Amino acid sequence: MSERITIDARGAFCPGPLMELIAALKTRQIGDEIEILSSDKGSVTDIPEWCKKVKHDCLSVDEKEGYWSVLVRKAK
Amino acid sequence: MSNGLFIILCSGEHEKIQMAAMMASVAAVSERPVEVFVSMNALLAFANGLESAERYHGAEFSELLRAKDAPDAISLLQRGKEFGDLKIWACSMALDVQGWEMSHLEKDLFDGPAGLTKFLSDAEQGQLITL
Amino acid sequence: MVDQVLDAQGLVCPMPVLEAKKALAKMAAGATLKIIATDPAAKGDFEVFCRNTGHELLEASQDGSIYSFRIRRAP
Repeated sequence: MSERITIDARGAFCPGPLMELIAALKTRQIGDEIEILSSDKGSVTDIPEWCKKVKHDCLSVDEKEGYWSVLVRKAK
Repeated sequence: MSNGLFIILCSGEHEKIQMAAMMASVAAVSERPVEVFVSMNALLAFANGLESAERYHGAEFSELLRAKDAPDAISLLQRGKEFGDLKIWACSMALDVQGWEMSHLEKDLFDGPAGLTKFLSDAEQGQLITL
Repeated sequence: MVDQVLDAQGLVCPMPVLEAKKALAKMAAGATLKIIATDPAAKGDFEVFCRNTGHELLEASQDGSIYSFRIRRAP
């Protein structure tokens, strides 16, 4: 039964959001999803890039009012 | 280590220390092995138990980094060590001329003293950046 | 059995390696150089120095804050 959690990293400066995502992934099971909210533009491209490199699944990137929501699934 | 990132950090400027910490931690968490060689004025910034204002000296950006609570360089490096393959070396010459032992440096950060002979030789296999 | 001793105590990195290089250059092939140093980086540096130059690191030991090395000069 996979779980989803949300991390609000809005206001945190790069590479803060990425680091928060990584710390959270360590505590999750494979298949769990993490939604990370970020107001930092750099993170919005960095996080999908990081996922591709280390082989987690970046499921979606959604632009909201003044921030982005990036959904990542732990794949390993 | 054919894709290793090797960083020689010798500037005491906050902005350069921050950049080195950002590069090292981001590369390390992206599963790229990283080694940082800290020398000259940069080593002074890593003395044990300093307040942020004593540790970091810089110009406009240094003020902004502090005013906006940007991630602290030392905690970025600690994250890099926690989540990736990041080694941080203290330049043996710089320790010697200061009369410092490793215990004088910030805890849980350094992997030991090192010399340039080995660092440069290892760096031949990867990419070397100096700040 | 040692042909020459280099006292590099008190020399700050990278001097121990540089002085050893100078001493080895003057020695006959197969001769042994002993180095005594207080520089904590010396161990790593001499391992790499020998690997890169072909000189043979016969021994590397530490007694407190004194590091000793024996190197055989390559042909």
